[in-house]
Amino acid sequence: MNVIEAENLSKTFRVKRKEKGLQGSLKAIFHPQTEAVHAVDRISFTVEEGEMLAFIGPNGAGKSTTIKMLTGILYPDDGAVKVLGIDPSKKRKQLAYQIGTVFGQKEQLWTHLTPYDNFRFFGAIYDLPDAEAEARIRELSEIFELDAFINTPVRSLSLGQRIRCELAASLIHKPRVLFLDEPTIGLDPVVKENIRSLIKQMNKELHTTIFLTSHDVGDIEKLCKRIVIVNNGKIVLDDSMTHLKYHYLNKKIVELKLHEEAVLPQLAGITVLKQNGGHVKLEVDTGIMKINDALRHIDAENMVDINISNIPLENIIMEIYKAEGSSLKRGPLDGNHLKKEGL
Amino acid sequence: MKKYAVIYRSVLIESLQYTANIAMGFISYLIIIFIFIHLWDYMYGTPGTLIAGYTKEQMIWYVMLTELIWFGTSSNTVTRQASMDIRGGNIAYLMNKPYHYTLYILARYIGECSVRLPMYAAVSALIGLTMVGSLAGFRLITLLAALPCILLGITIHAVFRLCISLLSFWIEDANPFHWLYNKLILVIGTIFPIEIFPEALQPLFKLTPIYTVCYGPAKLLIDFSVEKYAEVLAAQVLYLAAGCALMFFIYGKGVKKLYVNGG
Repeated sequence: MNVIEAENLSKTFRVKRKEKGLQGSLKAIFHPQTEAVHAVDRISFTVEEGEMLAFIGPNGAGKSTTIKMLTGILYPDDGAVKVLGIDPSKKRKQLAYQIGTVFGQKEQLWTHLTPYDNFRFFGAIYDLPDAEAEARIRELSEIFELDAFINTPVRSLSLGQRIRCELAASLIHKPRVLFLDEPTIGLDPVVKENIRSLIKQMNKELHTTIFLTSHDVGDIEKLCKRIVIVNNGKIVLDDSMTHLKYHYLNKKIVELKLHEEAVLPQLAGITVLKQNGGHVKLEVDTGIMKINDALRHIDAENMVDINISNIPLENIIMEIYKAEGSSLKRGPLDGNHLKKEGL
Repeated sequence: MKKYAVIYRSVLIESLQYTANIAMGFISYLIIIFIFIHLWDYMYGTPGTLIAGYTKEQMIWYVMLTELIWFGTSSNTVTRQASMDIRGGNIAYLMNKPYHYTLYILARYIGECSVRLPMYAAVSALIGLTMVGSLAGFRLITLLAALPCILLGITIHAVFRLCISLLSFWIEDANPFHWLYNKLILVIGTIFPIEIFPEALQPLFKLTPIYTVCYGPAKLLIDFSVEKYAEVLAAQVLYLAAGCALMFFIYGKGVKKLYVNGG
């Protein structure tokens, strides 16, 4: 069952433009100029119940605008959107009872109140009876391990503790869909890992659909099975994480340490990424040349050490961002894995 | 309504932590009251003089009461904070909850005033009774009767100020409009009662929110009459209904034009 259905969703903002300097400022008073910015440009996608989806893109790609349209904060200019069968712009309040939001860069909790008072507050906002709110607080406190600081004012909590409370507060009303906008921003690696396992746990135990945006590849890689990449307001990729990795796994990074500097062969399928004396970094396209064939062209007697690895997901995503700018003329990502107008 | 009561309660808990900060604001209030006590002392000259139908005690108590309402309700929540929420995009994080944004702001505002106003009231009563003396014919029942009018006046004041802040959906800066509104309320109705102004202008002033916000409640406290009470109360109910209708209308129109920075 689809919990989110977006079809040709579009949003255009009018942004003021002004010529430089004082003259430009004076001119703008009498002849104000604006420019249309297509923040979201006819995007379509669906999300199934219980799915964990990464919705990513570079800054200004249209991620947050899309989330705000899905949660009813912004009105779409065109297209249709349904979240849990509800049109968010028409019935925002009704939808609010069934969705949760966490914005890593924005506090939703009242900082002068304790997490417990905050949870009671959110429980009342979502019309939970007192007994149910209490039971829910106990349950969330156990899952998120909040007992040690549940009665400490939020302003005195560490960032990691605060994010755990933010997540718990967003789940107080048992939302069916949770929108997470950079939930691990600014956290140290240990806390990040902790938050990720909590998100995984609530997806598994509560069957909550997770709609995640993040610039942290670790969040995407460790949490999501599906990835949607947006750039310039359009969806440039909508694929499973396994599929995405599989198509890039035909490229391997080979790092070599040689006794002496050597002249490397110029062959199709081998790209020298870096060479610094005896240290060499190669990219081997296994679709063109097998890895053992590539290694045969290197003098084994001269080799001190070798390391073969996959391209990091971060690089794959970066390539996709760049590829969109150059009309997607890329090898493994062309064809049916890329969603782009006219392709 | 339960959720707005919870918002109110939460703000109350929060505001109680800042009573010392609120007390710092007494300094400005005391300076203004001190100036007006001496000003009206000088203006009245001989005892028994009436100015615009007010005795000296009535005039000073009037200023003290209107200033009490002014200072006791001075909060950024419905003015600068609401404008900043809209211009800065913070409204996006408040709108996705199952409450109405404008009522959320009003509940917060009333929560803040619930701590501030009684504190100022206590200071006013202390200064008034020690420096001016009690009002002739004043009874405690008058205060109880006028209390709903004071609360309605404060709410109307907040609704109109919030309406101005909601203009931020269209304009960059709503502060000039707040400035104009504040100055009107301050000069006509707060510092001076309406009767001070030319007779030709008085009916016009009685048609503005000024009549319901400051003048009406203060006038009832210093010179109570049942006719006046009914008149003020009726005007307040009408103004509150019209103000709320305007507030929901502006919000409904504005929210469709919302542009949030950074998406």
